[in-house]
Amino acid sequence: MIVCVAVVGHQNNPLYIQSFTDADDALKLHHIVHCSLDVVDERVNNPKKSGPTLNETFLGLLYPTENYKVYGYLTNTKVKFILVTTDLDVKDADVRNFFRRFHAGYVDAISNPFHEPGKKITSKTFAERVSNIVKSFGFSSTA
Amino acid sequence: MGREVSESCVDSLLTEMVSMYCNRLYANKPELAASRIDAIGYQVGHQLSERYTMERPRFTDHLDAIKFICKDFWSELFKKQIDNLKTNHRGTFVLQDNRFRWLSRMSLDPSPENGDVPQENSEAAAENKAAQVPNMHLHFSCGVIKGALHNLGIACAVSADTSHLPACSFVVRIKP
Repeated sequence: MIVCVAVVGHQNNPLYIQSFTDADDALKLHHIVHCSLDVVDERVNNPKKSGPTLNETFLGLLYPTENYKVYGYLTNTKVKFILVTTDLDVKDADVRNFFRRFHAGYVDAISNPFHEPGKKITSKTFAERVSNIVKSFGFSSTA
Repeated sequence: MGREVSESCVDSLLTEMVSMYCNRLYANKPELAASRIDAIGYQVGHQLSERYTMERPRFTDHLDAIKFICKDFWSELFKKQIDNLKTNHRGTFVLQDNRFRWLSRMSLDPSPENGDVPQENSEAAAENKAAQVPNMHLHFSCGVIKGALHNLGIACAVSADTSHLPACSFVVRIKP
């Protein structure tokens, strides 16, 4: 089950954070997202193997904490998407699919002429779209 | 699946935008009008580059990003690629489009705008004005390129050269 998704801009400014569990965990989730930004930077600046993984947008599992798994995705414009989930057996393809749909939703949200680049995303349509994607996570693997 | 927009619609919108900024909003301050049009182009380029880099792997260096502008970005906007790319390998690139779509329907004959300009000056004034008009239109395109490159992490300055209409060259200078 996905507990939190976050969009972080290229200066590590938060553009969108949404948690899908009870509110008292929200601060811990924000903290986890914050820590994962360091891991993203490290992955991007020091590639362990220069090969097909060097320029991919999907960064994979960033780090597992005690009961969460954190996945990262970096776009060409240095915007980072962070996904925090409690599922134990998450398929790689599922996460990639999630990030693809999330990226499409993000692009549509910032193409809004009333959205100011660098400020938080306040579009309700985007929030609805994200919650739809989150709800269908894991169920669409056979579709 | 994408929605389509008629090209005449885009042409009319650009023409009207330039005309509004140059003739109504900032009638006596062409530099201010130019910078406002450039800012509009900047935001458009910023958002478009986000959309068109969606499926692609990340760029390794400046040349990759400029090549993306020349090929994919230009094809999405104008259905053709940049015809010629030159570089001095020190941060300056010249992108040449031999038939720039947004200028292709623009008349190139200078004609006096109002009838009470004195005869001796009318030729020079008309030529000046005719040269200014495509420049104003190009500020938008320069802004688009600048916005797209800034979003990819490359700070640059873009200017346009229209000595051989309808061919148009954009000079991109990357700031160190």
